[in-house]
Amino acid sequence: MSGLEILSIAATATVQDRGRPGYLRYGVTSSGAMDEYALAEGQVLLGNGRDDAALEFAGMGGRFRAHGAMWLASSGAEMDLRVNGAPQPWRQSFLLEQGDQLDIGAARSGVYGYLHVAGGFLTEKVLGSRSTLRRAGLGHRLEAGQVLPVGEQPREAVPVMLPPPTYFEQRRLRLLWGPQSEVFPKAERARLLAETITVTPQRDRMGMRLALQGGGIDAADGLTIASDAINLGDIQVTGDGTPTVLLADRGSSGGYPRIATVATADLPALVQIPSGQSFAFDLVNRQQAVEALARHRKMLAALPSMVVPVTRDPRDIGDLLSYNLISGVTDGGEFDPD
Amino acid sequence: MARPEGPRILTAGDMGILVEFGDRYDPAINAAVLAFDGEFEKRRPDGVIETVPTFRSFLVRFDPLELPYERLKDMLREMLAARDWYQAGPPARSRKWVLPAVYGGMRGPDLGEVADLMGLREDQVIDSHAGAVLTVAMLGFAPGLAYLGQLPKIWDFPRRTTLNPEVPAGAVLVAVRQTVLPSTPIPTGWRQIARTPFRSFNPHSEIPFLLRPGDRVRFEPVDEAAYAAYAAYDMDALLHEEGS
Repeated sequence: MSGLEILSIAATATVQDRGRPGYLRYGVTSSGAMDEYALAEGQVLLGNGRDDAALEFAGMGGRFRAHGAMWLASSGAEMDLRVNGAPQPWRQSFLLEQGDQLDIGAARSGVYGYLHVAGGFLTEKVLGSRSTLRRAGLGHRLEAGQVLPVGEQPREAVPVMLPPPTYFEQRRLRLLWGPQSEVFPKAERARLLAETITVTPQRDRMGMRLALQGGGIDAADGLTIASDAINLGDIQVTGDGTPTVLLADRGSSGGYPRIATVATADLPALVQIPSGQSFAFDLVNRQQAVEALARHRKMLAALPSMVVPVTRDPRDIGDLLSYNLISGVTDGGEFDPD
Repeated sequence: MARPEGPRILTAGDMGILVEFGDRYDPAINAAVLAFDGEFEKRRPDGVIETVPTFRSFLVRFDPLELPYERLKDMLREMLAARDWYQAGPPARSRKWVLPAVYGGMRGPDLGEVADLMGLREDQVIDSHAGAVLTVAMLGFAPGLAYLGQLPKIWDFPRRTTLNPEVPAGAVLVAVRQTVLPSTPIPTGWRQIARTPFRSFNPHSEIPFLLRPGDRVRFEPVDEAAYAAYAAYDMDALLHEEGS
């Protein structure tokens, strides 16, 4: 059977596509890639469809073996990537031949890295999506020994790359007040905007616990509210004053008040901040957040135009004389199957 | 019922609008939410991603680049003005379920504790619970998990302050005049008085979620033999009336 065999894999790895919106009213949150920009990068590198599924790694990858030749691509947080032991650059498409071993190690920057395959990973679809929602037992659970089925491979392709995006360095994130903000004393809300905020190691696909410089948030008399729906990016404050940003695998509803909501456009930047690093919030109004979202969507739409063929560094080319150096360039034949 | 100060239309992030009908669970507030949900579904504009009715509010998640915020807000405002939603009462066409349940013993390990809290004998607790016609007020927390209300006042005791790391799917859980019915194993602070073979959620079924907000539910005490027999049933068979 052709496919990508898992020799070993980090426990936090999942299958993710764009998720399964529409079931929140039944208690199922949409899941989907934590970093939708990174998911889109991979689709563009391989010419995949928007809904194709990738493997999402939270800081650590795994070891894989190709059964049959296949085109893969890496995106999101830069991770150590090796094919048969040889280091490979990140954010590129590449070909694995039958039997090749692929190693994905630790993230070097950011948190969530992605491995894509041409045609996507064809694991089971549940409620219209392949996304793993571990808490609810939905979607495929990755384990060593499995051979993941992959989509149809292109007859001809060339390795392509994307320039690294800038949001991995972004440390100012947009924030909106929400329906329960007024439950919190004015001074506590002011602290959320004024203080340096640190990402704690208590983080996963459900949410990220934050630590304010001046300690927990005082929720005054509003420790619990009558349960209602939770939005992506809501910042919930539990009884002990801990703020947690609720993310793709959050509970669909809850009874802790939410002090604010992170702007949708800044969620990729937020989830990619390594634990222990700090950032600050900037208050925006709804209009400003929507403008940021429009710019974010424009960037996503522009991704295909940013793809460039991988050009070899001359230092890596062993025998320069065997290349056609007339006019100082090769004839391109080595990259172009035509 | 104290007249709630509402409804209010609130911005919820850059992709959400919340219509808040009240600040607590009250059957009249919940009925307003469910009636509003039904009406919104009929006129749902393009650009709406999903909607979530809860105990006391109605969330619309939408794409603001496809459906301008002001247009959605105007539509919601117009709908609110069109009638007094608090007078909506229970839905005219609500489906009725009779769910078999084994009370006490290993199927309801906390029945004795609940009887003590209520100052009743165990059989009286069962009679009171099984005698109530409950309404699905909302689904949430876990796939298909139903919050059912409202039990008589004697059921007004709090949840535990400690968490039971896992109760099984089908556990019948009680506190604060409500029953919670999970379809998957969950951690919980609620007390388990019974278990039903019914599962509202089956991801591989053509209808993955059986219980809907507004459905009526009554529990019917059965013995172990009946429990085992029901467990082999098609869960749809527990729907007794499609509504009238």
